[in-house]
Formats: sequence, C-alpha cells, structure tokens
Amino acid sequence: VSPVTVCVPSGRLLEGAMTALESAGYLTRDGWRSTRRLIVSCTDDAVRCLIAKPVDLLTYVEHGAADLGIAGKDMLLEQGRDVYELVDLGFGFCRGVLAFPVESAAVWERKSPLRIATKYPRIAERYFWSRGRPVEIISMNGTVELAPQVGLADGIVDLVMTGRTLTENSLVEVAELFRSTARLVVNRVSLRSRAGAVTAVVDRVRSAVEQRAVPPSA
Amino acid sequence: MLDRWQQIPSGTRDLLPLEAARVRAAIDGIMREMARWGYREVTTPTLEYLDVLVRGEGTETGDRLFKLIDRGGELLALRPEMTTSVGRLVATRMRGDPLPLRLAYAGQVFRGREAGSGLLREFPQVGCELIGARTLEADAEIVALAVEALRAAVCSPLGEGAPSVGVGDAQPSISLGHVGVLQGILAGLDLPEDEAAAIRSLLYQKDFVGIRDVLDRRHAPTKIVDALLALPTLRGATAIAEARRLVTSPAGQQVLRNLTELGEILDAHGVGDAVTIDLSIIRDFDYYTGIVFEGHTPSLGVPLLGGGRYDRLLERFGASNPATGFALRVERLLAAMPEEEDPWAPDVVVAFAGQGRDEALAYARAMRRRNLTVTVEVLGRPWDEVARDAIARGAGRAVLVRPGTAVVRTAAGAEHLTPMTDLLTGAVQRETP
Repeated sequence: VSPVTVCVPSGRLLEGAMTALESAGYLTRDGWRSTRRLIVSCTDDAVRCLIAKPVDLLTYVEHGAADLGIAGKDMLLEQGRDVYELVDLGFGFCRGVLAFPVESAAVWERKSPLRIATKYPRIAERYFWSRGRPVEIISMNGTVELAPQVGLADGIVDLVMTGRTLTENSLVEVAELFRSTARLVVNRVSLRSRAGAVTAVVDRVRSAVEQRAVPPSA
Repeated sequence: MLDRWQQIPSGTRDLLPLEAARVRAAIDGIMREMARWGYREVTTPTLEYLDVLVRGEGTETGDRLFKLIDRGGELLALRPEMTTSVGRLVATRMRGDPLPLRLAYAGQVFRGREAGSGLLREFPQVGCELIGARTLEADAEIVALAVEALRAAVCSPLGEGAPSVGVGDAQPSISLGHVGVLQGILAGLDLPEDEAAAIRSLLYQKDFVGIRDVLDRRHAPTKIVDALLALPTLRGATAIAEARRLVTSPAGQQVLRNLTELGEILDAHGVGDAVTIDLSIIRDFDYYTGIVFEGHTPSLGVPLLGGGRYDRLLERFGASNPATGFALRVERLLAAMPEEEDPWAPDVVVAFAGQGRDEALAYARAMRRRNLTVTVEVLGRPWDEVARDAIARGAGRAVLVRPGTAVVRTAAGAEHLTPMTDLLTGAVQRETP
C-alpha cells in the first residue's frame, strides 16, 4: 500500500505547514530543514510529505498525486479546483487587495476601463466584472507592484501581509477582494477509497492547529 | 521548432491500435452487459443547439462548451455529456412510448477547458438511463448495473484467447449517497433561499471552511453545524445510523429509511459488497434530485463513473418523467488498469506465387468467414521472408498458395505441401466447433 501523501507548498506557507505537521506528530522537529529533498519521509511510514510550488499544489491534489495538501485560500479562489476544503489551519493570513499608485488612485472613482496587473487573473476579473467595470487583466508571475510604476498597468491586485510593500512602492489600497489563510484540502477519491488513513491525518492536523489556538481569520 | 501539423489540440488524444482495442473492448463489454439488462442503444448527434444543452444543464454550463455558429447564425455546441441529449430524445421523438424506457449510449463528449489543466477536452463516455420509474427498485437497478458495467469492462478480453484485463490493486467500488440527506440538514436551518443557495454552492465547491464561516455568522444551532461539517466523514456501515441523529426533518428521515432499504435490494442484486453508503457524495444539486453515486478505484484520483436520480431534467423539455442513470469514463477506467502486451497477431498470413492469386484470395475469404484474422501479403516479398516475418509476429500459420497446391508453415516452423482442396476442406473441418 502506498503511503498517504501530504503536499505542502514551498514559499511563504512552508514554515507554517511544516510546523503544523510537526505538531501533529508526522515530522520530527526541524528534521525537514536539513534536507533539500522534495519528498520528506515522516515519523510514520504510512505517511509521506511532498514539497511543491504553491501554484502547482492543487494540481497534485486534484489529480490524486497527493491525497492531501496545504494550500492558501488565495490559490483555492484563483484556481477553483475540484478538492475538498476541510480545515482552516489559521496561519498564513494575508489579504488580496486592489491598489493604485498614490498619485493616480482617483482612476478607481472614474468609469474608464482599467489595466490591472496581477497573479490572480481570475479573481481580479470576477471582481471587476461583478462591479460592471471593464478591465484588461495583465497576468504576471512576480513583482506585480512594479507594473504601475513603469506604465504597464493602472493598478494591481496582489497579496498584502503588512502593507509595507505597497507603501514602499507608493501604492495605496482602495479595496479588499479576499482574505486568505492556509487550508487543509483533500482529494475527492482519497477521501473515500483511503477514508481511514486520510481522515486520521485530517483529524490529527485539525486538533494540532486547534490546540495551538491560532485564532482563525476574523 | 515544432510545427502545428505535428501536434493535436491540448486535451485530445490519438489512440494507437492496442489503445483503441482496449477502449473498444471496454465499451463493448459494458454495452453487452447493459443489453443483458434490457438497455437498448440510442445515438444522438455530436452537435446540439446550445439552447438544448443550456436548458438541460443550466446556464453556467455555457462556459465549458465548445460552441459553433451555424450558417443561419444559430448557436450550436458539442455535447459535454449525453444525458441531456437522451432527455431531449425521450421528450420529443420517444414521447408516449411505453414506460419504463431503458436506454444506453456510447460516444465522444467534449468539454471546453483551459490548456494545461491536464483534463481531457474530448473523451468517450458510456452510460445508461432508466426513465419513467420513481421506485427504489429502479434506483437499485441502476446502481447494480453500474457495478456490473465496471466489472464487465474490467473483464472484457482484448481478443480471442487473450487474458482478461485485470485491475491493478483493487476492484472498483461505488460510493452511494442521497441529496435528500443534505436537504434534510439544511431544512433544519430554515434559511432564506439566497443563503440556502450560498450554502449549496459552497457545498458544491466542497468548501467546508466557508460553510462553517457562513453558519457561525448566522449563529446556526451547533447540532446542524456539526451535521454539515460531519458530512465528509459520513460513510460506511455506521453512516446511516449517525445521519439519523443529525437529520431531523421527516423528509430527511424518510430518505435515510429508503437508503437502508436500497442497501438491502443491492445485497439481493449481489453487489452489496461493492457499494458503500457515503453521504458526502456531492454532485450538482440543481440536476440531481435523489440518489447520487460515484465509482472509483484506489489507484486513480478521479472518479470512474458518476450518476444518480434526476427527476426534473425531463420537465425542462416539457415531458415530466422521473429518471435515473449513470455515465462511465472509459479512458479513466483503462488508466487504472495495468498496461499489457499487445496480444494481436493474424491467425493466417497468405501469400501467393505464379497464377495462385485467385485461389489465395478465395482461401483468405473462406478463412475470414470462419472468423479468423487473415492478412494477405501486399509487398510482394519472397516467400521465406513473408513466412519468417509472419511466424515472428505470432501468426498461427503462413500459407503460400500456388495453382492447386499450397505450402503451409506452422507456428512451430515446420513446412508441408498440401493440395488446395484439402486445405480448404481440412481447414473448414478443423475450425468448425
């Protein structure tokens, strides 16, 4: 029988995800830091841990290459994948906001069409069209905040944690599109065909994060 | 630089002979099983008016269709599944036919999806519909047939004498739920319709975190919140007993009693061990009105089949009728099975020399009537080369036809000379059962 596979995202959620799996007893404390392997074995041979890029993570879970995954709500909203979202893990809080350069923020008040740079093209498009605002989305993979400064876009939709990046790039938030924390997601077939093993992981991780009493995103 | 002519569109597939043979064997196996249950095949056009498909499946389906514009400006679309088309057929040309109708279908269906999603945009679907019956017997028949169809597909041999296709790690199984359980839980909340719709939408997205947020905000009774959040784990022998504590409405209780009885009928059908009660099955609620089920195997992360009761689809076509059915993803079933060696080889390879052509072709024709696979040498190669190649490929025998006589080389490599008349009559006698 192949082990139950938990996919965790590299990047900003890695630390929190690994800590959650440590608290649940699947990883030895800091054991995963010493390795550069992308498949990390767990204290329990029946479980293994896979590290993937955040943008790919839901693909692994949706196709069943991983049974479970830890994903940001931002990715779930953007990608709309066919997975079960079962637990709010509480960590990795951030907000998706619409921001414009300070000096031209007034364009948001006008009715003119906008060019928006973002890593979240679907969320952004839904937001604008639901408000009847024509928009041209420029899909990017990084340093979105650069786009308005060089005339690539009027504004951006991006994640903020503290808001410092916005300030440093002379951008001002005009609207909040969504809030995000890390979520525990499960493949729809694994939840049935490997119910016992998968539910056990869900329950242990759930009670581990509840015990740490991280307040859920308010 | 890769040119377009070397590629096929993302999400489409070419099937090579072995792959095509596996798909064909699986489809034929399923269709034969359905025929044994009295389900007769219908075919419908690959193209339908967009209006038909949207009427059957709701407006949001429009986004995931391949659409075309007819010469008159009419919008057409490639069918994304076949139940709506069968529904249209039943409501139009088959209106008034004696019920119940048992119909089966097999065909290519099309879904518009983003390139790179890893999902197919064209694939074969096989399914059946039982129309005009609202009973538990009808529900049980469809679920039992789903199990037997999976078994038939798994066991269909690729050719005469070839081993059956076996499933790698486990037999496929069916998870069976009912949309009424969820409705029973939601009924206890007494929500305004827009909020109930929001919860249904979240459930359809399987967003249980979102459901908890909505219910917490409404200060919903803990018992109901617990019931909804327990849904993903309500499965197996104890599921109905647990659900009985969580579902309070009389309608919900009736659904649970029906599921218990359904389980008993499935046992009598001999498929009870392949079906698990699973109240977490979530399929499109606007479409399904009763039982819902999925088939899967542990080695594959996506369902092999899906189905359920959809009593309101036909009324959208002006012919209100209860109906239940399922559709099966053949290519997923095959993906879950082990790869196999290609068992194909001709039974007889025929070549001729001199004036032997007429007798060679008559011999080939006679053998084909005996249901043997016969190829005739078309490259004009020397006999020894033809025969060695034929035996190496696994042919039963190679035959060189000359006027009146033939050289026969057997699979063991032995050669003997035979008069054509003996060969024809002898072969006929040998191959006659």
